[in-house]
Amino acid sequence: MIEFEIDGVKVKAEPGETIIQAADRAGVYIPRFCYHKKLSIAANCRMCLVEIEKAPKPTPACAFPASQDMKVFTRSPVALKAQRAVMEFLLINHPLDCPVCDQGGECELQDLSMGYGEGVSQYTERKKCVDDEDIGPLISTYMTRCIKCTRCVRFGDEIAGMPEIGAVNRGEDTEISTYVGKSVKSEVSGNIIDICPVGALTSKPYKFTARAWELKQHASIAPHDCLGSNIYIHTASNQYQKGREVKRVVPLDNEKINETWLSDRDRFSYEGLNSENRVTRPMIKQGGKWIETDWQSAMDMAYQGFAKIVEMKNPDAIGGLISPSATTEEHYLFQQLLRAIGTNNIDHRIRQIDFSDSMDSPTFPGLSINIEELEKQDTIVLIGSNIRHEQPLAGVRVRKAWKNGGKVLAINPVKRNYNFDTAKEMTVGISNMVPFLSEVVKALADKYKNKRFIEWLKDIKPSQDAIDFAEEIDKGVETAILLGADSLSHPQAGAIKSLVIAILAILQKGNYGELTTGANSAGAWLAGAVPHRLPTGENDSAGLNAQQMFSQPLDGYLLHGVEPEFDVANPQQALTALRYAPHVVVLSPFVSETMKDYANVILPIGAFSEISGSYVNVEGTTQRFRSANAPMGEARPGWKVLRVMGNFFEFEGFDYKDLEEVQMSFKEESDDDRKFERPMLYMKQDFVAHKPKGLIRIVDWPMYRVDATTRYAKSLQKTISDEERSARIHSKTVKQLKLNIPSGHMVEVIQNDESIQVKLVIDDNVPEKHVYLPAGLEETAGFGEVAGIVEVKIP
Amino acid sequence: MIQKVKMWAKSFTLFELFKGLGITWRNMWRKKITVQYPEEETPVSFRFRGVLALRRYPNGEERCIACKLCEAVCPALAITIESEPRADGTRRTTRYDIDAFKCINCGFCEEACPVDSIVTVPESHYHMEERGENIMTKEKLLAIGDMFEEKIAKAKKLDSEYR
Repeated sequence: MIEFEIDGVKVKAEPGETIIQAADRAGVYIPRFCYHKKLSIAANCRMCLVEIEKAPKPTPACAFPASQDMKVFTRSPVALKAQRAVMEFLLINHPLDCPVCDQGGECELQDLSMGYGEGVSQYTERKKCVDDEDIGPLISTYMTRCIKCTRCVRFGDEIAGMPEIGAVNRGEDTEISTYVGKSVKSEVSGNIIDICPVGALTSKPYKFTARAWELKQHASIAPHDCLGSNIYIHTASNQYQKGREVKRVVPLDNEKINETWLSDRDRFSYEGLNSENRVTRPMIKQGGKWIETDWQSAMDMAYQGFAKIVEMKNPDAIGGLISPSATTEEHYLFQQLLRAIGTNNIDHRIRQIDFSDSMDSPTFPGLSINIEELEKQDTIVLIGSNIRHEQPLAGVRVRKAWKNGGKVLAINPVKRNYNFDTAKEMTVGISNMVPFLSEVVKALADKYKNKRFIEWLKDIKPSQDAIDFAEEIDKGVETAILLGADSLSHPQAGAIKSLVIAILAILQKGNYGELTTGANSAGAWLAGAVPHRLPTGENDSAGLNAQQMFSQPLDGYLLHGVEPEFDVANPQQALTALRYAPHVVVLSPFVSETMKDYANVILPIGAFSEISGSYVNVEGTTQRFRSANAPMGEARPGWKVLRVMGNFFEFEGFDYKDLEEVQMSFKEESDDDRKFERPMLYMKQDFVAHKPKGLIRIVDWPMYRVDATTRYAKSLQKTISDEERSARIHSKTVKQLKLNIPSGHMVEVIQNDESIQVKLVIDDNVPEKHVYLPAGLEETAGFGEVAGIVEVKIP
Repeated sequence: MIQKVKMWAKSFTLFELFKGLGITWRNMWRKKITVQYPEEETPVSFRFRGVLALRRYPNGEERCIACKLCEAVCPALAITIESEPRADGTRRTTRYDIDAFKCINCGFCEEACPVDSIVTVPESHYHMEERGENIMTKEKLLAIGDMFEEKIAKAKKLDSEYR
């Protein structure tokens, strides 16, 4: 520990720490622009000049390491003169357009020029102007305002891995540019809006719609991925609509989860909240026509329908699907309602098709280490994970681990475009995921002479690739094996999980992680929103799971925040079952034409900013949040709707007065001590390759099509490229299929007698005999199932 | 005794009455100060804070840039602004409402305005007849601005000496 003085105050610092870091901790403010605690030190703005005793000239505090008994003065005449002079320099080319600038009111330059600048400039020459570039639909640029602090450039290089953005030219002509006018394509690009100290980079969707001082800040939790990033929702009052409107979302610092960053999906999805597709009044279908009605009659109709099914048939003809992004309280009440009706047909695992491991699974799927420990791993194995798109900020952590010298290995159905290098990456297609993994396990078992596993996999002969891969895994000291969405929605997901656990069992080390879809899969498991497990954690006789509910059509469906044409693993089957079902009740913030087609009752519920509740993230941390604004129109929070539905049935135990009572009824010992336990080893899988005849369709959900709110967010939708909306096929397979057309032409894709026309993209990143066609797109709404067989031909 | 005699004499000669009539007589020939209101008016200072208006530039472009400083400074919360980018990419208001009943004519908005857009015109002749007319919309304010532009420009010029 070093001890030194800043402005007469004794301050302690670690050796090697710079003055500004020590000062920040001690609460002494030193003005700065280019210094950012999460980025490397550039020392190019010179705003943090301070006087150091016995130093001949003022010194930049951000770059100068603290030393024992040093005396630093931040407000001495020398320091002040230097700061004023620097401020005058910075303002030479900065336009004085604060009134039209979106940063006005929250601008670091504005604040510091008030505090540290002079009223008059000696500079009378013309100011320099810089052309703006269009860098995409999310970020608007006004480069004349740029003060060349290079925070955005460093963020791109160091954190996001987006080298598109950089400084060109020298001296006074320096400009921040994307070199060739490219748009910035990164899943965390929005952070450059926050780190820009001036108004050069601002948010495009928020552009000119509000001022910083009008906004009210509400702490909340991001609802799109399993990390549960902490956010601030900013709302402004809308006098004419009587209520507050969400204007933007910015990150809330939490070192344990999102540091100071936020993914674009979490940042810009709020646009969906104000979509015209919001449903504001309960709607019922009468005589084939939709009418808006009051809550009483809508709830009554919903209740009557279910009551009739229970009376005429049995409760097991009713099933309920809930979005994995609903709050834990909603999950709990949802299963409580359905279990009270008398059915166990409850599920939130809408994208899963293999449920063979359900009974053996741990209390909730998750990560056996903390999220922040991810960056300390020296070996990270990604299995079927496009982590950049699925959990962008976990991707940032993995990239950090790689930058720190870690090694990333990957087994994927398609080659993913990572922003880190992989030591070994296997692109095996859907069919070879399990065979390859079993070879890896066998190779490890052979190496460690583990008889039990050698016996288990006696028919398997590891290939050289598998042996090399096993070797790489074995070298790691701190290893994390992460399963992504491609594994979890794989037709042999259970086998994949058991093989991964086998790897860890052989190695006797390493960490396991399932990076689940949705924001609250863990919460759903804990609250019992699965067909085979009660909220108490005990297994029960299993009801129908998400897949069976549609393959064995039911009479009544209760859907909560799910749009089956986009969200489920088999949209085609789901829509058929729903259209055929006599009674479908949908609780949703949004309404679509398809929904009007299959539903009987639509009950409007609040979207993410409008509800209170809690999410349990992938590491098992419960995070509670409060609503930021009132639900739109007559919509009500989901938990209230479910509670009142319970009252309609006159069930006992539904008389909750507030959310706390709901929480109390299922809360176990202490949420803080909850820790993910690694799943038990089970070895009952047989490892036949999933090799159906024909082309296999690889399905994933594009980053901005994962849930309804994101799908209705306009700006995010504009970033989806044509390539992502097309069928991607390997060039050899294209030849085999005799598709004599170049990329960009339309092809007809046929799956289960249904056909759609999409663009063809010839892409060698897709393995042979596969067609990579994502779900969740408008083009593929209600089309085919995950990993199904498709035909492709020229229309 | 003498006092009593004086009083007696004064009341019999109607002295008080003539004294009073004397004032009337004098003032009868003085210059009149009454202003015949609708026909005549007292002079108004160029700083008089009367009706509110939004100004335009000489080329017809509205001045307001939706910076919302007037909304922020307004002590009576009389101003409501909504803004968004216009087709040409500039920052513009989509709604600019002043509730004239809330407005206390303090002139802070005029002080705050960086582009001399919102002004208080030295003009007091305005009234409302119907409920709802008290909401001065952007169109109304701009129309008032157009109507009084000459007056506003003159007042601004006179005031500039003291700024």
